[in-house]
Amino acid sequence: MPSDVSAQDLSPQEIMAAFLARDLKDTEHLMVGVAMPIVEAAVRLAHLLHGPNMELIFFGTRMNVADRHTLPLPAFAWDNRVVRWAESFSDTGHRFEDVKHWHKRIFFIGGVQVDPHGNTNLIGVGPDYATLRFRGPGSVGTPTLSTHVGRYYIVLNSHSPRILVERCDYMSTYGWGSGGADARKKLGLPGGGPKYCVTPLCVMDFDEEDKHMRLHSVHPGVTPEAVQAQTGFALRMPDQVPTTPIPTPEELHVLRTRVDPEGRLRRM
Amino acid sequence: MESRTSHIIDEVEAVRRIEDGMTVAIGSPTPMALVRQIIRRGLKDLTVVDVGLSLDMLIAAGCVRKVVSYYAGGGFGVPVAPAFRQAAERGEIEVWECEEGILTSGLQAAAQGLPFLPWRGGVGTSLPEVNPDLKVFTDPIRGETLLAVPPIKPDVTLLHAAVSDAYGNVQHVGGPGWIDLFMQRAADHTVVQVEKVVANEDIRKDPWATTIAGADAIVRVPYGAHPFYSRGYYIQDNAHLKDYLDASTAAAKGDPAALHAYFARYCREPETHADYLEQIGIRRLLGLHEY
Repeated sequence: MPSDVSAQDLSPQEIMAAFLARDLKDTEHLMVGVAMPIVEAAVRLAHLLHGPNMELIFFGTRMNVADRHTLPLPAFAWDNRVVRWAESFSDTGHRFEDVKHWHKRIFFIGGVQVDPHGNTNLIGVGPDYATLRFRGPGSVGTPTLSTHVGRYYIVLNSHSPRILVERCDYMSTYGWGSGGADARKKLGLPGGGPKYCVTPLCVMDFDEEDKHMRLHSVHPGVTPEAVQAQTGFALRMPDQVPTTPIPTPEELHVLRTRVDPEGRLRRM
Repeated sequence: MESRTSHIIDEVEAVRRIEDGMTVAIGSPTPMALVRQIIRRGLKDLTVVDVGLSLDMLIAAGCVRKVVSYYAGGGFGVPVAPAFRQAAERGEIEVWECEEGILTSGLQAAAQGLPFLPWRGGVGTSLPEVNPDLKVFTDPIRGETLLAVPPIKPDVTLLHAAVSDAYGNVQHVGGPGWIDLFMQRAADHTVVQVEKVVANEDIRKDPWATTIAGADAIVRVPYGAHPFYSRGYYIQDNAHLKDYLDASTAAAKGDPAALHAYFARYCREPETHADYLEQIGIRRLLGLHEY
């Protein structure tokens, strides 16, 4: 086990995974969708370090694998072999029949666009819906998931003004709408909404009053100015912006030897 | 008295029951033997309820006018299926924008003969703006804001399953794809392609395992979901799918040669599913054992 961890040795994706892992609590149900390698690593890290009663739900495959030393997951969304780890499986259609119980469920979402109030877009980009400039993949299950889960995290593989925009061209999930702590309640959305937006540069949260995105911490070597320059709207800036905590030696050891021995998070 | 009528037909006959302009729902695991016959026949103007790369193939082959889909990712690191993306951006296909809960609500409304079912996921989003068939309404019981999802009624649903008897009693291995059951309930006519046809006695040994009772037609096609997976039989042929994805990507960038070759080799030249399997080759197929 490394006795000391230096920020230079870490990839931003490893810092993101460790940050997310610490925020996840034992007994929570962690639902991971397609094409989110950082989130896959984060939930498995949390499961191994402090979450023996977590339930990991990859696509529809529900598992508890805390006793596995390593877990060579295939690219699960496209490979039914992942059910080898499952205690139960639920498929499209069946997945959404128990939203009543989703207060313990945590979800992670990416986006083609994300706006200052944590609304996200997987539909597409362009003024005319009939002929979009970029056609996105579609909303998958994110509208329902974001409506009902206890809380969720917006996790972006890159941080740019093209993604973090003043206004989404289309909204496939409603985060905090046009702002305000009661925005979701007014619409009758039972879930807790987005908590953090985590990117390769920083962590952002939402102002308690108006739910506008605010810089929470910058990853080592990144300045608040650099984050702002890569963001398409004016971020709330606290007087003091802390540095995102880097993984402890134990976290990094587990991450690199048991969760991500192939180093995927160091090559993104 | 006449004897009980067999529901078994072949893949060519099954697809003759589909006409241009119909709404066709495609389940998961993907009934590719039937999808390839649709492409071979050159059906046009279909409304297709589907996801992923089988949807992309049908669009690339020119069969689709309208798409009902919650997800058209390409997989293999390609965020959006190439033919879907290009056809949508050019306005060549119409997209009925939805998500998983809205799709299943619409299928269930059709199955139950209702004018709509309510759904909460999507309230506050752009979905009812870009899909005007979804109506925002105030519920008359508690006064909450909800979406009214109208029926999604396939003319024909195409599914893949493990086994059936000759009378359309279908049993899956490892549970059905649950979207399949929504699609079957909602459709006027359901065709299920199966890995194997078994005796009626085999079905009656365990009637609790029957997932679809009385499918309209059964098509016997071993390896019929290839290049996708079939639970309990074989895994996905990722190399084949990647070849298709590369060809579709190149076509979207203006070089359709590889895509034309793909469709010729795998969809148009093989007249039947057996011809297709010969084209793929026994070594490749046997290399796809589960796990």
